[in-house]
Amino acid sequence: MRMKYITVIGLEVHAELSTKTKIYCSCKNSFGSEVNSNCCPNCTGMPGSLPTLNEKVVEYAIRMGYATNCTINPVCKADRKNYFYPDLPKAYQISQFDIPLCEHGYIDAVVDEEGNTKRVGITRIHIEEDAGKLIHSESFSGSLVDLNRCGVPLIEIVSEPDLRSAHEAKAYLDSIRAILQYLDISDCKMQEGSIRCDVNVSVMPEGATEFGTRCEMKNVNGFSAVERAIEYEARRQIEVLEAGGTISQETRRWDDLAGKNYLLRSKEDAQDYRYFPEPDLGAIVVPEELLEELRATIPELPGHKLLRYMKETGLPFFDANLLCENPDKADYFERCLALGRCQPKAVSNWLLGDVSRILNEKNKTLADTKLTPEKLCDMIALIEKKTISNTAGKTVLEEIIWSDKTPDDVVKEKGLAQISDTGALEAVVRSVIDANEKVVNDYRGGKTNALGFLVGQCMRQSKGQGNPAVIRELLEKALG
Amino acid sequence: MNIDIKHIAKLSRLSIEEDKMEKFQRDMENIVAMVEKLPAVENQTLAVDPADRMELRKDEIRPSLRREALLQNAPQSAAGCIVVPKTVE
Amino acid sequence: MSLYQHTAKELHEKLLKKECSAKEIAESVFARIDACEERVGAYVTLEREGAMAAAQAVDQKIAAGESIGPLAGIPVAVKDNICTKGVLTTCASRMLYNFRPPYDATVVEKLRGADYVMTGKANMDEFAMGSSCETSYFKKTANPHDLARVPGGSSGGSAAAVAAGEAVLALGSDTGGSIRQPASLCGVIGLKPTYGSVSRYGLVAFASSLDQIGPFGRCVEDVAALYGAICGRDKMDATTARRDYPDFSAFNGDVRGLRIGIPKEYFGPGVDPEVKELVHAALRELESAGAVLKELSLPGTDYALSAYYIISSAEASSNLARFDGVKYGYRAEEYDGLLDMYEKTRSQGFGDEVKRRIMLGTFVLSSGYYDAYYNKAKLFQKALRAEFVAAFEDCDLIATPTSPTVAFRLEENVDDPLKMYAADVCTIAVNIAGLPGLSVPCGVSEGLPVGMQLIGPRFSEQRLFDTAYAFQQLRGGSLCPMPELA
Ligand SMILES: [Mg+2]
Ligand SMILES: [Zn+2]
Repeated sequence: MRMKYITVIGLEVHAELSTKTKIYCSCKNSFGSEVNSNCCPNCTGMPGSLPTLNEKVVEYAIRMGYATNCTINPVCKADRKNYFYPDLPKAYQISQFDIPLCEHGYIDAVVDEEGNTKRVGITRIHIEEDAGKLIHSESFSGSLVDLNRCGVPLIEIVSEPDLRSAHEAKAYLDSIRAILQYLDISDCKMQEGSIRCDVNVSVMPEGATEFGTRCEMKNVNGFSAVERAIEYEARRQIEVLEAGGTISQETRRWDDLAGKNYLLRSKEDAQDYRYFPEPDLGAIVVPEELLEELRATIPELPGHKLLRYMKETGLPFFDANLLCENPDKADYFERCLALGRCQPKAVSNWLLGDVSRILNEKNKTLADTKLTPEKLCDMIALIEKKTISNTAGKTVLEEIIWSDKTPDDVVKEKGLAQISDTGALEAVVRSVIDANEKVVNDYRGGKTNALGFLVGQCMRQSKGQGNPAVIRELLEKALG
Repeated sequence: MNIDIKHIAKLSRLSIEEDKMEKFQRDMENIVAMVEKLPAVENQTLAVDPADRMELRKDEIRPSLRREALLQNAPQSAAGCIVVPKTVE
Repeated sequence: MSLYQHTAKELHEKLLKKECSAKEIAESVFARIDACEERVGAYVTLEREGAMAAAQAVDQKIAAGESIGPLAGIPVAVKDNICTKGVLTTCASRMLYNFRPPYDATVVEKLRGADYVMTGKANMDEFAMGSSCETSYFKKTANPHDLARVPGGSSGGSAAAVAAGEAVLALGSDTGGSIRQPASLCGVIGLKPTYGSVSRYGLVAFASSLDQIGPFGRCVEDVAALYGAICGRDKMDATTARRDYPDFSAFNGDVRGLRIGIPKEYFGPGVDPEVKELVHAALRELESAGAVLKELSLPGTDYALSAYYIISSAEASSNLARFDGVKYGYRAEEYDGLLDMYEKTRSQGFGDEVKRRIMLGTFVLSSGYYDAYYNKAKLFQKALRAEFVAAFEDCDLIATPTSPTVAFRLEENVDDPLKMYAADVCTIAVNIAGLPGLSVPCGVSEGLPVGMQLIGPRFSEQRLFDTAYAFQQLRGGSLCPMPELA
C-alpha cells in the first residue's frame, strides 16, 4: 500500500522595491527602459567605483520587517556574495549574510474561505541588489547582457519550512504580495519579475519526526507557477522514494512551460560564495527614533482586515478578500460603512460590481472619479428605501461617478423615482395584459414563470420607474 | 598545509599552466605557512561597530552614463548590449 | 636651476611673481622627461598635450588676473590605478591594457578643480601588488638614484617621477606600504593618509579596507598641500570620515616636548644596521631640538604581515573578480564557451603575483577556512588597533625605519614572494591599524636614500607634517636632493 507523505515547503521570496533609485547608486530604478540606459560606473562594476546605500531601501525593508512581526537589527552590515556570471558585473552581489536587517517574524496567512489562518515563520528579511539580464536569441551565437536591472533593490524574505502544501504556499505568497502592496514598497508585478521565488521542497512519510532531504528550485516566477512547481517536485520526490531511491540535496530549475524541473547542480557542486563583510561600506545603523517612525507607518494589514470584515460585517470571504485586495478600495469601503447609511453587503456589491466594471472599462481608479462615499451611499440608500429601482440605480451611478451631481439631482433630472401608486400602475398592467394574450394564456395554463416576463414588460412600459413588487401584486390580482 | 591548488584556481576562475603548477603550489604553501603564524586572539568577538556608522544616500535620481560611454570599453557589443558566449542556464 | 627642479611651493611663488609661466613649467618637466624617462621608466602613459592645455589654461587665469591656488600649474604624476576620464588607466596590467574610464576619480576631480597639470599615468606593480614595481606588465621602473635598483613599490613610478624631476608631485596609493616604501627608496617624501581621509572613489581597488591614496613630494609643504587638496569627506565613498580638515599650509616647527615613541620591534635583526643607525641619528637630532624619545613595544608588529596577507588577499580576490573579459579590458582571443573565456582571460590577463594573491584570498575565504584565516586576521586587526591606541597614550607619534633596507637590485627578489613581502614589514601595521604614516628621507647609505617613518594617531596628519617640517628645517630646509641622471 502506498504510504502517505507530507510535503514540507520553505520559500525565499525576492521582491523588487519601488524606490526611485537603485540600491547602491543614483541610477533610476525603472522597468522597461532601453537596454543599458540606466547604468553608471557603479552598477556596471567599473574599476574604482564604490557603492552608496540608498536610505529608502533600508526604510522599506524595515517596514516590511515590522509588517511581518520581525525583530529589527538596528546595527547590521552588508556582505559580499562572490560568484562569476555575466549578469553580475562586480562578480559579487552585495547582500547580507549573518546579520539580516530583520529576522524572527511571522505572518498569518488566510488559507480558506472560512477565514482559517496558518502561521508561517519568517526566518529573515535582508536587503540586496538584483543582477542584470541576459538576452538570448536563436539567431545570435552569443548572449546579450543588459545591465539595467543591476542594482535594483531587492528584499529577500526567507520563510521557515512551515508550509505543508502548494495551496498553503500560494496563500502565503498572496499574503506577502498584499502586504507589499499595502506598504506601497513594491510594484508586485509578477510578469515583470518584480517578485521571484526560490522554493525548497522536501517530503516525509506521515508520522515521521524528521524532515526529508530538501531540494531547492530556482526560477519559479509567478503565483500559479509556484503551485505547479511544488506539486511537481513533491510528486517527483515521492516517486523516487516509492521506487526505493533516496533524495539527494540538489538545486533544480523549474521550467514552467514544460511543466517540469531539471537538475541544475548537485550538492557536490554547491557554490562556495565566500561571503565576507563588504569593506566598501560602513555599518548600517538605524536610530531608535527612525525605527519608531517607521513602525508607526504600518497600516492595518490585509489579512487582519479581511478577517475583520468577515466578522464585523458578515461579508462572505469572496467579497472581503476582493475589498482588501487593494488598500484604496478597502479604505473607501470603510468610509462608506462609517456613514452608516446603507447595508455593508450592498456597498460591497456595488463596489465590486458596477463601480469596478466602470473603472475597468475606463482603466481608472476610484481616486480618478467624483464618486465620494457619500454619493455612493446616498444612491444605495435610495434603492434601499425603494425610492428608485436597482436598474435606475445603475443609471444614477453612471452619472454621479463622473460629475458633481448628487443622486437626488439625477433622480429628479431623469425622473427616475419609482412609482408605487397602484392607480398609476393599473393602466400599465391593463395594457400589458392586452398586448400579450399568448403569455397570459400560458400563465393561466400553469406556466407560473411567465409572470416574470409580464413584470418585465410592465417595468419597461413604466420606463423602469414602476415598483416591481407592486406591479407583481397587481398582475397576480388581474390574472387571478 | 596541503592546498588543493586546482580547486582554488577553479574557484578563482584561473587556469594554471602545468609547468607553473609546482611553483604556485610551493609558493602558496609557503605563504599559507607564513600567515598561519598569526596568533589567536582570545576573548574577542567581531561585532559590527556602531561607531563605524555610514551615512546613507538620499533616494534622488542622478544622470546615468550614456550607453556609448558604458559600451566603449566592452570587448564585444551588439544591439546596445555587451556580448558574451552563449550562457546555458 | 631649471624649473623642474623646484618644489611646488617655489613654483607657486614664481607664478605669482610672474617669474615664469605654467607653460614653461610644463615644458621644463617634459624636457626632463624626454631626457631621462627612457632610463627611469616612471610612466605608463604620458599626457603631454593634456598637460600643455592645462598649463595654458592656468596662464590664461593668471593673465585675466584671477587668483590661483597652490597647485595651479603644478605638474603631477598620477598612479595608473586612479581613474582618469578618457585617459588610459591600466593598473599596469595586461588585463586593463586598453581601459579608458568613463569617469574621473574624486581625487582627480579635486585636483582638476585646483588647476593641476597632469603629466601622465605612473607605472606601478600590477594592481598595486608588489614592492618593487617589477610586476608591471608594461615596463620596469628604475630607481633614479641607481638605475640598476628598484624604485620600490607598488607606487614606484610615482616615487621615481618625483625623485627624478619628471613630475613635481605625484599621487600614489598605499595598501601595505606602497607610498612610503618607494618614497623611502627613491629619497622623496610620501604620505599614507589616515584610512577614510581621502576618497577611494575611482581608485581601482586592491584591498578596500586598507587602500588609501596619498601624495609624494620633495618637501614637506608640497606633500601637505597635495594632501590638503585631496582629503575630505566624499559622498561617493561611504568609508570616508565626516570631519573637517585644516588646509595644511601652516607648520609648527617646534618639537619641544613632542614625545616620540621608538618601538623596539621595528629595529630588529631584519633591519639593515646602517638603516637603523640613520634613523636613530635623525631621532637624536629631533631630541636635541627638544623632542622626548621614548622606547616602547608594539608586539603585534611581528604578526602584522600575516594579517595583512590574509585581509588584503581576501579583499583582492573579490575586488579583482570583476576582471573577467566581459565589460572592459582584455578578453582572451580564443575560447570555448563562457567558463573557458573566464579562465583564459584571467590567466592571460593577470601576472603571477596577482594570481598568487587572488588564490590566497580565495583560499582564506573558502568554505571551511574562513574562521581559521579571515576571521582570525580581523580579530588580530582589532587587537593591533588597540595596541596602537594604547601606545599613543604614552607618546605623540612613533618613529621607525620605513624600509628595512635600501633599494634592492632589479630582479633580486622576484622569484621569492616571501622575501619580497618582507620589504613591507615596517609599513604594514600602519595600514592594518588605519593610521597615517609619513616617510621622510633621513640619510644616505651606500649612496642610496634611507627613509624614516613617522606614525601618528588617526587624523594626526598635521602633527606628522609639523614634525617632518621641523626635521626638514634641522637638515637645512631640504631633504630630497635630486639625482643628476646626466
Ligand atoms: Mg538572495
Ligand atoms: Zn548606477
